[in-house]
Amino acid sequence: MSQTDTKTIPVWDIFIRVFHWTLVLGVSTAAVSGFLLRPTWISLHVWAGTSAAVLLLARLLWGIWGSKNARFAGFIKGPREVIKHLKELRAGTAARHLGHNPLGALMIVALLGTVFLLLLTGATALGGVFKTGPLGFLFSYDLGTTILRVHYVLAIILVLLVTLHILGAVFEGMRTKENLVKAMITGKKEARESDHDLPEVSSRPLWVTLVFGATLALLVWGGIWFSAKPPFGVPTGPMNPTYAEECSACHIAYAPSLLPAKNWGTLMSQLDNHFGEDASLDQKSVDEITTWLFANAADSVDTKPAHVFSRTNPTYPVAITETPFWKNTHRTIPDAVFTRAPIYDNGNCNACHKDAESGAFYPANISIPKETPQ
Amino acid sequence: MKFKLIIATTAVALVGAVVAANTQRDAILSGYAAQAGVSGFSADAGRQLFMSQNTGGKPATPSCSTCHTSDPRNVGHTRVGKVIQPMAVSRNPERFTDPAKVEKWFGRNCRSVLGRECTPTEKGNFITYMMSL
Ligand code: HEC
Ligand code: HEC
Ligand code: HEC
Repeated sequence: MSQTDTKTIPVWDIFIRVFHWTLVLGVSTAAVSGFLLRPTWISLHVWAGTSAAVLLLARLLWGIWGSKNARFAGFIKGPREVIKHLKELRAGTAARHLGHNPLGALMIVALLGTVFLLLLTGATALGGVFKTGPLGFLFSYDLGTTILRVHYVLAIILVLLVTLHILGAVFEGMRTKENLVKAMITGKKEARESDHDLPEVSSRPLWVTLVFGATLALLVWGGIWFSAKPPFGVPTGPMNPTYAEECSACHIAYAPSLLPAKNWGTLMSQLDNHFGEDASLDQKSVDEITTWLFANAADSVDTKPAHVFSRTNPTYPVAITETPFWKNTHRTIPDAVFTRAPIYDNGNCNACHKDAESGAFYPANISIPKETPQ
Repeated sequence: MKFKLIIATTAVALVGAVVAANTQRDAILSGYAAQAGVSGFSADAGRQLFMSQNTGGKPATPSCSTCHTSDPRNVGHTRVGKVIQPMAVSRNPERFTDPAKVEKWFGRNCRSVLGRECTPTEKGNFITYMMSL
């Protein structure tokens, strides 16, 4: 057969192709930032997930009102068809499907479903653990960490599914002697006798655009509205003025949620020997500050720092920087970084954490400052 | 005309603030003078106190200059890296104007550095040194 008499027919419309490759980009970015990069890249990860969500919404609508090879009703087959296709594959008699074959269709459902679950668990974990995003008002830290584990398992499943999907495409490409990756770029396949094709339908791009625009607008509006709600289990009251004044002279006024009440009590009873300095105060101020610290201590706050710093170091019960979590998270930062200007000390949290005073310590707000002359 | 008036008012307000600050500082100083039973203080003795290296206090803070740097006209920083505005009155006119604040920090810093309270004479000398720069 020579090039000139090969007839090609359109299979994948432009939407499917753009969707396919942008989803590849989105999922790869999410996978790399989630598996390989430091937590400080969380913004990239969240943006990749958000883009995947928008893509998925568009794909769902195109699966209802799009072109024939895009429609779920067209390519999703029941178990009987799948088994029949498998048997034909074994016997070597399976004809080529122009769109998804019954097995490929199963993979599409698995891929899209897993991405959907990843988005759901991702938003839940973001809300529960970091108290940000549209679900920050709803979920507890404990639920967030549990769901984060599910999110992680789903991510591994997605990597496996993608691998299978690629292997499947290579296998089917070899079986039908066709470059399927190229087909997903050009959208065309070679026309052949005995192909399985689907009945013609007319796509409704205008309608899909309208529904997509309206749904997206609603989701964005809802997302912004829910994100603005007070986070779950995080007190939003103002800082006690005496605390803000007296305990911010030598360092930031540490968020009261960074230590449990018991440990604040110890700290406040030893101000005359406070980390090798005299920080004593009149008794009235001590009492006022202690009462306020107790009411807002880690025991009653549901943020990640409140939970992780609740396990204090029995040898140094009043030092946040001696807690097992603090030591472990910062172990990759050389000691010299902490002592150089403008940081000077590991207790200078706000030198690296822009949101230190709020007690949030969201990883996207971390940046280690460059050294400055003393 | 109006412009001149604004300048004049601002100038008067500024001078007023400085005068008020000076009055408060003088009152603090004469308080220490009365406690010590002396009629004047020595900027030089204040400088010596400021620069002295001590072993009586807490090991991390051997000297006033540990945090306030060896030139009180400079910005200093605490052990935790927080900026401390200059101590020299010429750079920071608000210094030594709030008696409670002055007493609180003399108390803390003298105990941290020297391991004891500062005497009224030492406090007066210290402030006088800061006013002389
Ligand atoms: C005179 C200066 C000074 C004052 C005032 C002061 N602190 Fe401190 N604080 C320090 C120093 C110095 C450290 C040690 C930082 C380090 O070595 O990491 C410290 C450390 C801490 C830490 C532990 C941080 C860490 O590194 O783990 C807490 C918590 C703390 N201070 C709370 C308070 C509270 C509450 C008050 C108000 C009652 C207060 N501080 C007032 C000087 C001060
Ligand atoms: C020299 C800069 C620096 C200082 C100072 C510093 N941190 Fe960090 N911190 C980091 C970096 C970088 C990370 C991210 C580590 C990683 O890559 O996992 C981090 C991570 C954290 C995390 C985990 C964030 C998360 O959820 O992933 C917490 C909580 C935290 N720091 C609290 C503190 C507290 C409290 C202090 C002060 C007592 C402090 N840090 C001081 C640089 C710093
Ligand atoms: C550990 C760091 C440190 C050391 C050492 C230190 N200071 Fe200070 N000093 C501070 C801080 C922090 C403040 C309050 C911040 C501010 O007012 O800008 C302060 C404030 C003061 C004030 C109050 C000034 C005012 O505005 O009224 C006096 C007085 C003072 N220091 C005297 C001393 C003397 C005297 C010594 C030595 C014996 C000394 N300091 C050593 C950290 C230090």
